[in-house]
Amino acid sequence: MQLPAKLNNSLSLSSIVRFWRHLVQRREFAVLLLFLILCTLLSLLTDTFLTFDNLSNLARNFSWIAIIAFGQSMVIIIGGLDMSVGATMALAGLITAYCMDENIGLPVGVAVTSGLFVGVLVGWINGFMIARAKLPSYVVTLGTMSVVRGIAFSLTGGWPVRNLPENFRVIGQHEIQFGSWGIPVPFLLTVMTALVVGLLLDKMVLGRYVHTLNRGERALLLAGVNVNQVTTLVYTLCGLLAAFGGIVMTARLGVAAPTAASGYELDSIAAAVVGGTSLYGGEGSIVGVLLGGAVLQTVRNGLVLLGFPAYGHTVAVGAMILAVILLNYWRRKH
Amino acid sequence: MTQLLKAIDISKSFGTLPVIRNVSLEISPGEVVGIAGQSGAGKSALTMLLTGFLTPDEGKLFFEGQQLRWPFNGRAHGIEVIHQHPDLAEDLDVSSNVFLGNEIGWSLGDDWLKFPNRRRMAKETVRILTQLGANLEDPHEIVANLSSEQRQLIAIARVMVNPSKLIIVDNPTLALSYSYQHKLLSLIESWQQQGIAVLINSDNPDHLLAVTDRIIVLRNGRCDNEFQTDDTNREEVVAAMVGTIDRQQLTPILWALDSYYRAREQAEKLSQRQAMLEKGLASGEMINRQFISQLANQIDALDQVNAALQNAQRRLLTELEQERKGLAREIHDQVIQDMLGVNYRLEEIESYDNLAPAVRSELSSLQDRIRTLVDDLRDICGNLRPPTIDSLGLGPAIGSYARDWTRRSGIPVTLDLDPELGRLPEAIELSIFRIVQEGLNNVHKHSGASESRVELRRTLPRTLMLSVSDNGQGVDGDFDLTMLPESGHYGLLGISERVVLLGGRLKLQNNEDGGLLLQVEIPHPRLEMPT
Repeated sequence: MQLPAKLNNSLSLSSIVRFWRHLVQRREFAVLLLFLILCTLLSLLTDTFLTFDNLSNLARNFSWIAIIAFGQSMVIIIGGLDMSVGATMALAGLITAYCMDENIGLPVGVAVTSGLFVGVLVGWINGFMIARAKLPSYVVTLGTMSVVRGIAFSLTGGWPVRNLPENFRVIGQHEIQFGSWGIPVPFLLTVMTALVVGLLLDKMVLGRYVHTLNRGERALLLAGVNVNQVTTLVYTLCGLLAAFGGIVMTARLGVAAPTAASGYELDSIAAAVVGGTSLYGGEGSIVGVLLGGAVLQTVRNGLVLLGFPAYGHTVAVGAMILAVILLNYWRRKH
Repeated sequence: MTQLLKAIDISKSFGTLPVIRNVSLEISPGEVVGIAGQSGAGKSALTMLLTGFLTPDEGKLFFEGQQLRWPFNGRAHGIEVIHQHPDLAEDLDVSSNVFLGNEIGWSLGDDWLKFPNRRRMAKETVRILTQLGANLEDPHEIVANLSSEQRQLIAIARVMVNPSKLIIVDNPTLALSYSYQHKLLSLIESWQQQGIAVLINSDNPDHLLAVTDRIIVLRNGRCDNEFQTDDTNREEVVAAMVGTIDRQQLTPILWALDSYYRAREQAEKLSQRQAMLEKGLASGEMINRQFISQLANQIDALDQVNAALQNAQRRLLTELEQERKGLAREIHDQVIQDMLGVNYRLEEIESYDNLAPAVRSELSSLQDRIRTLVDDLRDICGNLRPPTIDSLGLGPAIGSYARDWTRRSGIPVTLDLDPELGRLPEAIELSIFRIVQEGLNNVHKHSGASESRVELRRTLPRTLMLSVSDNGQGVDGDFDLTMLPESGHYGLLGISERVVLLGGRLKLQNNEDGGLLLQVEIPHPRLEMPT
């Protein structure tokens, strides 16, 4: 009886070791490590980082970056880039706010739906042009970015929309109590979105096609998969998620400005890339993007807490993207 | 209309190059149609057009009476294709590739919202690939690691997961080996029996003739000829392919086609045979190795027997020498002394005064005979046991024997003995002495030589070399030392046995200037010899 027990023990030990090795080899693990190191550093360097208010604030702000990064990472996985997510966020937030204005006064649900519809529309236009006309994605999306931002400005004449109804601001500002912990609603929404997108991308057939599309487009074509539809769907989903992120952001800030979310396309790309999504296409996971977004937002938060000027943030994001790209290049070379 | 597929006036150009010109064709359900044509005739382009990937410049296509508009997804209508070059998703595994676009699983409504059931797909993949005879054990192997033939088999397997109405096979012979080509042909037959129509395009007219009902010949993008397979033959098809009916031009083409396919088949068979041979060699080598180890065992056993025999022989020889020594001593000490005593007594009797002269002369002749007898006995003793060897050593013993031998045979012997020889173990000294004895005897008996030479010296490294040579007639060229017992040379046999017992080597050869050289090398000196 002694021997089998011992054998069994060593077996389970080796399987633990294998699991650990598997874990360590994943890119997500490196991102998690980076995140933990950042948190440790910041809690040592500042008194304010490790307070409940700061963390809760961080989680709120992180939420819409993560939500749009999910869409962005899907686009990157199929080998494209979506430069219009920031503008889509602004327009979707603005439309939602506009619909709830005293002049129109639609109910919150309808307003949110129309905001989301704007995102779907922008995304579908992007996808249609990229899939059908075979145009480079960043050129197309740069164009739509400009158009969408312009529409946002002209809609209110450049003025922000204020006085949003209370039951809309719930989305961004409230917390749900779990015992003594108040979890911010945006954070919960992010986790739910991550679950849905993760299921779609990692477990479902669509996810396989998305992962295969960049390098195996012809294979998919020959297998009878409608590649154009997949591409269009991915951009549409990206637009939808951008709109969702924009609505959450608007609800949080309590004001919808046409200038909002400018430069967020770069943040979303950074979150995706830092989270292990390869700019060469084909690779990337939702857990990674979630962690990438967390790292990005922590860096931003840390820069503020450490007293760096606001412009430093853009430098940090750009530098992180470049660093990860260089790292990937180096990894590929060896 | 019963037509499954009907294409009307399809034309396609790549740039300014017309590839397909006004091709119309019809396929009925369950019909196998072949497209023949030289490479570049537009066969692949036509199949790409019919599968919906390539959009023609002109033309209409109807499938089951319904018009299809390009680009369309053939699989959605029940048109499956095996492409010339299978493009697979490199990062996915075998079963995912087989089921790509046809995933099995639990769905949330849409095809894309399916959760693929990996286990079931893997099981089905194994079943289909086994049916194809493909040696792909692991359905989870990543496709990027596979050979082009294995990829083509996966592409064929993909066609078989879904029920279809028309299967288009685009020249799959390029990537498949001969046996799989045949497998595919029999698959096509079974598809036909299931009522599936097949459109196959192949470079090899034999394949088309083997499975099709009808053969369409494409030449320069035109569909000029059509044959019922049962009413045609290779010559006719090939003639239509190359566009000539001139037998003089046709024959070399047919011949070339024949030899090309035959050569390819042969090459494949050869490589298979080579693989089998290599396998056979490997197993043969294993048997050989076993055999060799058995042989080694037997040789070991033989060696032991041999060693035992040598020991026995050594003991025998030693005993023989001991006995000779004893005998010699007995003769010398007893018989000769007795005879000398008798002679002395006779001398005493001769000194008596009152003897008759006849008796006296008889006595003196008796004394002479006894003296001769004693001399003879001494000779015998000397032969039995060289008298000097025990007291003076090998050199003097050989010297005295040689003088004696010269006296008897009349042949002069030149002695060249190493003065530094010293004393050797008794067994070695005796053996060397016996070898010299036997060697000189042979010279006397067989050679007819007028002079001979005995040489004994230490050579490096630590060996003794003894050579006995003469200027006689030598031996025949084919004299074989291993055949001594059969040829009755017992003397030489004795020499060789002694040499072996001493761990030495025996060489017997003709001298350059005529005569025989018997040369013995013995490890020197102190061998542990049983005494």
